[in-house]
Amino acid sequence: MKPASTLSTAFLHPAGQALPEPLLALRRQRGAALVDMPLPTRKTENWKYSSKYLKLTDEMAISLPTAGKAGSALAVPGYKVVFNNGVMMPEASEYPDLEDILIQRFGDLSEAEASELAERLDSTLDNKTVQFAGVNSARFEDGLVIRLKPDAVLDQPLFIIHEVTADASGSAFPRIFVDAGRNSRITLVEEYISHGHEAVMVNAVTEFTLAEGANITNIRLSMDGDNVQHIGATGVLQQRSSRFESHCVGFGGPLRRHDLQVRLEGEGAECKLNGVVVTQGTQHYDNHTSIEHVAARCDSEETYRNIAADKSHAVFNGRIYIHQDAQKSNANMNNKNLLLTTGAEIDTKPELEIYADDVKCAHGATIGQLDEESLFYLVSRGIGRREANVLLTMAFINELVSQIPVEAVRETVQSRLNQFFEKAFQEA
Amino acid sequence: MATTDQEVNELIKREYEHGFVTEIEADTFEAGLNEDVIARLSAIKKEPEFMLEWRLKAYRRWLEMKEPDWAHVGYPKIDYNSISYYSAPKRKEDMPQSLDDVDPELLKTYEKLGIPLHERAKLAGVAVDAVFDSVSVATTFKEPLAKAGVIFCSISEALRDHPELVKKYLGTVVPHTDNYFAGLNAAVFSDGTFVYVPKGVRCPMELSTYFRINAANTGQFERTLIIADEGSYVSYLEGCTAPMRDENQLHAAVVELIALDDAQIKYSTVQNWYPGDENGKGGIYNFVTKRAACIGKNSKVSWTQVETGSAVTWKYPSCILRGENSVGEFYSVALTHNYQQADTGTKMIHLGKNTSSTIISKGISAGKSSNAYRGLVKFGPRAEGARNFTQCDSLLIGDRCGAHTFPYIESLNKTAIVEHEATTSKVSDEQMFLCRQRGIDPEQAVSMIVNGFCKEVFKELPMEFAVEAGKLLEVSLEGSVG
Repeated sequence: MKPASTLSTAFLHPAGQALPEPLLALRRQRGAALVDMPLPTRKTENWKYSSKYLKLTDEMAISLPTAGKAGSALAVPGYKVVFNNGVMMPEASEYPDLEDILIQRFGDLSEAEASELAERLDSTLDNKTVQFAGVNSARFEDGLVIRLKPDAVLDQPLFIIHEVTADASGSAFPRIFVDAGRNSRITLVEEYISHGHEAVMVNAVTEFTLAEGANITNIRLSMDGDNVQHIGATGVLQQRSSRFESHCVGFGGPLRRHDLQVRLEGEGAECKLNGVVVTQGTQHYDNHTSIEHVAARCDSEETYRNIAADKSHAVFNGRIYIHQDAQKSNANMNNKNLLLTTGAEIDTKPELEIYADDVKCAHGATIGQLDEESLFYLVSRGIGRREANVLLTMAFINELVSQIPVEAVRETVQSRLNQFFEKAFQEA
Repeated sequence: MATTDQEVNELIKREYEHGFVTEIEADTFEAGLNEDVIARLSAIKKEPEFMLEWRLKAYRRWLEMKEPDWAHVGYPKIDYNSISYYSAPKRKEDMPQSLDDVDPELLKTYEKLGIPLHERAKLAGVAVDAVFDSVSVATTFKEPLAKAGVIFCSISEALRDHPELVKKYLGTVVPHTDNYFAGLNAAVFSDGTFVYVPKGVRCPMELSTYFRINAANTGQFERTLIIADEGSYVSYLEGCTAPMRDENQLHAAVVELIALDDAQIKYSTVQNWYPGDENGKGGIYNFVTKRAACIGKNSKVSWTQVETGSAVTWKYPSCILRGENSVGEFYSVALTHNYQQADTGTKMIHLGKNTSSTIISKGISAGKSSNAYRGLVKFGPRAEGARNFTQCDSLLIGDRCGAHTFPYIESLNKTAIVEHEATTSKVSDEQMFLCRQRGIDPEQAVSMIVNGFCKEVFKELPMEFAVEAGKLLEVSLEGSVG
């Protein structure tokens, strides 16, 4: 049977009507735009390497019912919000009730607040390049809005646990919107985890808007199981002198796609994007990032590292776009890839599009294997070949892992990486 | 479908009859493209029958193809039926009668480039007895080439004299199904160059279209086929630094290079077609497919190009590295000014063991132009120990131009290593200050800096070409500062 060329109508029926009317209206409007949405193929430029992994069935169109409260068992060193199958679980969440930092479910918003939010949702993402964010906007059943008033600072990291219970086929559509006021500051950790073994899709959208001088650190851990197709998008809009720092750590799966789009709209804004991806078996991971320098004197720094083992497939596409008025821009992009076996595949495309002349832009990309001489050096000093491989592979990404500012997250990542090494380097 | 197929078939039959019996009188075909036109074209050129078949096959396929729209360029839609696909060489009385009739601007450019007087006339299309000059050149080079056994002639001649060679290799590197413009070219190519270098022969001189007699008026759909047999070497120069007078707006050329075991081909291009005026009016569309197949072990192909002309350029000289230890190289300078648009780069496809490639691309954008590098480096699963190094640098002059980089890197082999680097910068105020301080005027200073920026590529050009290329940049950059 030929795969369908447009999104099945089964995906156009949202569940959960408990949202305020403005958000329901937004959902209907986005849903109408999805009719006959073409599904990506190999000819779709931004899905060129990944379209073959996208396998949507009509069974997966059903919204997963909220199930357990397993997430409540997770201890985190900070505040915690738990989402199960795209719906927030207040009883499993622990966060403070502060005057200057409002953390609310979409369902708890007043009509006026909801109407304001509806206007701002989707404003940070380019709907032409992140087609699937539109599916989230048409389907979200719940969501979290975090509003930081000017100068507000959240004293501890806020962990958002996105948990999927896959006891049946279906989808989850978690949605987060963060509105950071002037000079406010927050560290937000998003963890995606799953239980169960049925084929499910997670379609997650997180948006950040940063007012002047705001400072956001976002850590995103993608650790769903091998039954989960994950399509995520993160949109960032930055005003004058704001700073956004992102650490994305991804472990492969049947389909993993993350779009990260940053627009530097105010002078002197700054962003730093780090990413680590490891894949093994027949896993896949595709990172697409876009940094747009709209205003002058902005800095961006991007470093992504991919490791592909066995027969897995890792993709990176980084785009830097400098607008005509973005003079004195500084943009740096670096993508290094490690191909551990022949049979695995790595594709990378670091793009520059520059329309201003007084800029400093550079990008670099490499694909290679572990350095034979370094291996020899270690082995000649009595370190086993396997251990030497692990050491050098860890060294390849440690520069980025060590920069993750929350210690507990670093530990989680390290233990997951150890599992990866265990499987990737089995020979003596 | 059945009826249309039938109609087409009928059409073909009918045209076959006419195509072969019609007496050809017209010098120029009326505008339009159909199978009849192709049959007539093939008949005029007295081509063997397999060629006509091949052209028709390409044409039928082309009808089903779509014009590519992915390149970072914009131009008005081309009406392929408004083009005449054959025109006989011009009669002398239609050409300018002396240098006095030629646009003085053009002559001034020749002056600046230091082009010898007798060549200026030929370039400007003046009806002086250009043959006088060419004959002497021709005889001096024909003899040693024949002695070495090198075949160097127009592709039409090759089709008559060496049909077996053409049949064996034509379309093997760039099949007619490859892309829209290659398909069109296969159907209607007017003429081009054919080179065959036999086993173990080092071609005794640099071959150049410019010196080949009858090379003028090869038309807008040029086809070049170069075959280097085992252990041979050839260096080929295409184009020339002087601005060429040309009436055709669309150019869709195809170049195919084939290197067998231990063979080496060096292909250098200097392209300086009319880029349109400073308001972006007119200018040539250059949609070229250039590809080399390194079939043999230890073969090597090196592309060097200096692109300063054309309103729109769409060109990716590529190497398919199939043979073990084969080497591909790409050195490019692309300069765009005013409203010029260039989308150019290369593809290095590593299939064989220990293949290696180097890409050095320098893009310079000035005025309101747009200059994009688009490249692909691919390592197949059997490309053990393959290696690539890529460097693409862009230089921006003025704040209304664009410089873009779209590199695709795909690796399927763990022992393959690829490194890609790209930078974008402008002529810095410090550099300018330093030059000005030493009494160098701004225009000259920019030219010096640009020349330095391109040095890595210029050193790959044959000597005299390199000197001319430097001057060419200077002329092309005029009016970009201040």
